[in-house]
Amino acid sequence: MDWDELKKPRRFTRGPDAPPPISLPQIKLPFKLPGIWVLIVIALIIWALSGIYLVRPDQKGVVLRFGRINRVTDPGPHYHLPAPFETVHKPKVTEVKRVEVGFRTIFQGPPARYQDRPTESLMLTGDENIVEVDVIGQYRISDPAKFLFAVKDSEGTVHNALEAAIREVIGSRGIDEALTTGKEQIEEDTRLLVQAMLDRYNSGLQMVVVKLQDVVPPNEVIASFVDVASAREDRDRLINEAEGYENSVIPETRGEVAEILNLAAAYRAEKVLIAQGDAQRFKNILEEYVKAKDVTRKRLYLETMEQILPGIEKFILPEQGGGVLPILPLGRGAAPPLLGGN
Amino acid sequence: MNKRYVILIAVAVVLFIGVNATFFTVGEPDQVVVTALGKPVRVIQESGLYLKIPFIQQITRFDRRLLEYDASPRAIITKDKKTLRVDNYAKWRIVDPLLFLQTVRTEAGAQARLDDIIYSELRVDLARKDLIEIVATDRSELMELVRVRTDAKARTLGIEITDVRIKRADLPEQNEAAVFGRMKAERERIARQFRSEGKEEALKIRSNTDRERTIMLADAYEKDQTLRGEGDADSVRVYAEAFERDPEFFDFLRTLEAYRKSLDNKTTILLPPQSEFLHHLNMSEIE
Repeated sequence: MDWDELKKPRRFTRGPDAPPPISLPQIKLPFKLPGIWVLIVIALIIWALSGIYLVRPDQKGVVLRFGRINRVTDPGPHYHLPAPFETVHKPKVTEVKRVEVGFRTIFQGPPARYQDRPTESLMLTGDENIVEVDVIGQYRISDPAKFLFAVKDSEGTVHNALEAAIREVIGSRGIDEALTTGKEQIEEDTRLLVQAMLDRYNSGLQMVVVKLQDVVPPNEVIASFVDVASAREDRDRLINEAEGYENSVIPETRGEVAEILNLAAAYRAEKVLIAQGDAQRFKNILEEYVKAKDVTRKRLYLETMEQILPGIEKFILPEQGGGVLPILPLGRGAAPPLLGGN
Repeated sequence: MNKRYVILIAVAVVLFIGVNATFFTVGEPDQVVVTALGKPVRVIQESGLYLKIPFIQQITRFDRRLLEYDASPRAIITKDKKTLRVDNYAKWRIVDPLLFLQTVRTEAGAQARLDDIIYSELRVDLARKDLIEIVATDRSELMELVRVRTDAKARTLGIEITDVRIKRADLPEQNEAAVFGRMKAERERIARQFRSEGKEEALKIRSNTDRERTIMLADAYEKDQTLRGEGDADSVRVYAEAFERDPEFFDFLRTLEAYRKSLDNKTTILLPPQSEFLHHLNMSEIE
């Protein structure tokens, strides 16, 4: 057996010995019914049943009769007249779709991988700077009939609208606002602008949220922006250091001041108390002194001399001239050199 | 028997062809121009089931939905002589399918005509504005202006222009480099400003601290001296008040006190015999 023979249509399976093909009229039925009508009835039933359709919970059913919108049905089993009278579309109305500007998710992940689209993401700001913006929008179908038939290519429409809107919004702002404080406002303004466009297009779509993923300076200038951030840090650091200096010096000075004032107060109190003490003592002595002036005076004098004189060197002078003559070398041994020679 | 089937099938086929050639539906996204041997007889813009004369009348379907025109980016010179690469799109729809059929025939043909209309309008209108006005301030008004003008022209093609938008308006590469240069310079300026603001603030805080310290210490000195002076004054007064009672006795006592304190063992004194201390030592007196 060669290959050509194998490839030949296998006509020989129904050879002359094979049983004749089954044909309905030849079957003996218990009751008489022309077979063609059975077939037609079965076909009609199948055709009629083909109008049963199921709308899943995330869908709405839009039924068209001869191409015209006839009714919109909610989730559950429903029936429409079979084609070609009626047809049904079932858009997913609860599904939130996503549109990306400035980048594309090329792998859902995890870990997700993204691809940058510089032509989309680089945009001019209102102060003629360039900033790199990645933004996503989430939208869903708000009106299934409009969604199906009002706009051709809904997805592309949303993408273009978002791209135009984000550029318009970024273009109306300075770079610093875009990079730092204004993000929420930009998101909201963009969302409203996109929604206004989508409404104008009668698209049956609702922009649920616009989210800025990334707003960064372009690579060419990012180092300068980083330097600004570190300059801000430097500023804060310098101020903190100075405040630290203040915080250490002022309390210390307060301590010094307290010390000075305490010392001064102590000095004053001391001075006064000593003076009062001295004065009181004098008054006491004076009181007794007045009673016996001469005796007391002498006694005090002599007592003082007694205290002083034992410890010191003394010379008694001769009467009236004649130089110095040590008559009583009281005290310690040798006479002073001045006198010793005579 | 077999003959009956053949007739049945033949009738069915003829019926099917006849119905198909007579009835036609216009769907929600469609609009239709009916022509009889090339001559337009009817325009249908409502969806539903319609009749036509089979084989004589023909139908041409057009899209009734909003369509998109998306141009490739083009360079446009602004009023301040800057080049801007503009990428725009427009939303349009066929409002007069008969006119559309007569003028541009197909969507592809329409795209080409729209390209001419929109680009020339855009170029003219953008050339009247500075770059910054296009990008920032006047964008929406500008787009609306372009839309109105292009719409007026497109009406002759049976087209309505619903919206014209600048999707992107970027600078060409060589201008981008200049912008980056300027951005860098600006950032450097801001960075310098931050740093010198830091120094400014730090110097303010430090010098203020020093000032406060100096004032606090001087203040303390003043109080210190006042207190001490008060102490001194009080003591002077107390002493004076006491000593005034007998100045002579005070002099005596205080002198003795001074002797006690000032005469120590390093002192040498010469005593005349007639001094008060020695006057009993005088021989003559004894005799």
